[in-house]
Amino acid sequence: MTGIAAAGETWQRVSPRYLWVDLITVLIPGVVITGGLVVAPIASRIAWLWVLPAASFVILVLVLAFTPRRVRAIGYRLREDDLIFRRGIMWHRVVAVPYGRMQLVDVNRGPIARAFGLAELKFVTAAVATGVVIPGLPEAEAESLRDRLVVLAESRRAAL
Amino acid sequence: MTTSVADGEWHRLYPATPFLRGGIVVIAILGYLIVQFRDVFIGIFIGTVAGREPHEDPMTRWLLEHSALALLIVFGLLVAIIGFGWLSWRMHTYRVTDELIEEREGVIWRRHRRGRLDRVQGVDIVRPLFPRIFGAARLEISMAGSDGSIRLSYVASARADELRAGILAAASLRRRTEAQEDGAESHPLPGPLHPPEDSGTRTSRLQGAIVARANEFLTPELREPVAASSLVTMHPGRLVGATALRFGTAMLLVLAGAVLATIYRPELLFVIIPILIGVYGFAAREVLRSLQYSIASTPDGIRIGYGLLSTTNETLPPGRVHAIELSQPLFWRPFGWWRVRINRASASVRDGGAAQANTTILPVGTIEETLRVVGLILPDWTEPADFTVSPRRARWVRWFSWRRNGFAFDDRTVVLRRGRFWRTLTLVPLARVQSVGIEDGPLTRAMRLARVDVHTVVGVVRARVGALDAQDAVGMWRDIETRALGAMT
Repeated sequence: MTGIAAAGETWQRVSPRYLWVDLITVLIPGVVITGGLVVAPIASRIAWLWVLPAASFVILVLVLAFTPRRVRAIGYRLREDDLIFRRGIMWHRVVAVPYGRMQLVDVNRGPIARAFGLAELKFVTAAVATGVVIPGLPEAEAESLRDRLVVLAESRRAAL
Repeated sequence: MTTSVADGEWHRLYPATPFLRGGIVVIAILGYLIVQFRDVFIGIFIGTVAGREPHEDPMTRWLLEHSALALLIVFGLLVAIIGFGWLSWRMHTYRVTDELIEEREGVIWRRHRRGRLDRVQGVDIVRPLFPRIFGAARLEISMAGSDGSIRLSYVASARADELRAGILAAASLRRRTEAQEDGAESHPLPGPLHPPEDSGTRTSRLQGAIVARANEFLTPELREPVAASSLVTMHPGRLVGATALRFGTAMLLVLAGAVLATIYRPELLFVIIPILIGVYGFAAREVLRSLQYSIASTPDGIRIGYGLLSTTNETLPPGRVHAIELSQPLFWRPFGWWRVRINRASASVRDGGAAQANTTILPVGTIEETLRVVGLILPDWTEPADFTVSPRRARWVRWFSWRRNGFAFDDRTVVLRRGRFWRTLTLVPLARVQSVGIEDGPLTRAMRLARVDVHTVVGVVRARVGALDAQDAVGMWRDIETRALGAMT
């Protein structure tokens, strides 16, 4: 991936506030699962069953520890004719989408993201595999980006 | 282009439609009644066999006790069914204008859908056996996007051909005018564009209708011009052989299991026979469906016909193929056979069973035939000579195929080659690439390998190749994106 990242240009990052959104989205199910697993050893009085909540807790802490890096790894770049999107630290994924291939753009706001004034932008093409979802954009930015993408796509429209 | 098809008037479907649609239900009910009353009929004609209770079934007994009421209910149901069928037939109309095709249906829930003719992805004519006997056919017009097909079931056979010709003419109008500007010879349309003249007295029309029906049945597709120019002649033997080889191992295992089971536990035969029928029936259906296969180029696009009893005849307008996959199962190697499947931008992929056939445009063919079929879709494609293949260190993840696993380009197409034993070659026209991704994971990164995924519309063909050298992969990713931008029209 170094070849792509070293192309001289810089990546647009998502809002730092998105870190909190991501942390909370990980934390809630993590705490619920760990809490649920604690019930097992207490109820059954089998000591080694404490392994389950312990493992769950360790995984949760690891995921939380990596979250800042994972959020920083999300980036996108608007080039002249296409959009490049990347994410992932262990499993890298970089996708390039020509604007002309855009079918529609969605702006979604989840409850947690909305509390932080953030929105996510989904770039939909005729291919499901494209899967370009840019999370953690400030709402105003998401909407201006959406409008800009629509204009760009309109000027580079291609027949399906 | 004004044909008799694009007249902008609302038309109804084939009058026998409700009967054809509901026919199976009616037959099922009749069948049930006959089975139930068999004993009664036998009893009436031969006299009740002594010592045997003829109507143990509570349903039958009830029916016999209240025969007047039962008759009334049956009659009422019949009237309701026929009335509803007739109403829904009255309400189901369609029309074709110069730009649109529209369909209105529904008695209680009205539905109105319209599609733009220039977005037509393909037109299929399907003739299931039963409607086919009555000279009816189903016309499926697939549009781009999900849930986007318009189905007219049923229309008269000749009308279906006429509609298809008209719709396709409109859909490929642009290409057609280009061809004429080039001074290329423009072929007359194969289907009867003009309605057959209906003159003559009633009796001669009736006779004519019967003769026409018989002719339609014998030469089901009105496809003489197509069959004659078909690029591939499919021998039934080859089809059987290829199917047997493709499922061969599984079928042999099933057979061996069945034989063993029969020897040791003969009473299990009642279970085994249905299983055998199921497995071999599936293979037989595969063969039957592909019999009478033909493929040819028409001015409206590629026309593919297949099927012996229920026939399907579909047309792909030019430039609507998003990915092509040539594949060769292991046991086809000695014979040099290949199969060709495609991705296209229509909803039919999701429709299940029938759609399976839609994606296979050549069930089995020799390498020459395969290349001819590919040549229809991508006219100036030649197999690239040198592929960029995986590096030697990739042999740990591609044990046998690392020497073959790779990609190549030409101006318009990207070609992915995979597999040592089960070989596939995937072609994606660069003008149809939706987006392109590159991925790696912890393990492959340590080996400096990466995977490139060429995103096309959803379908059976997945265009991706892994275990490439990371630098090669990045180069390929860039090239595809640049060329895809360049190839966009």
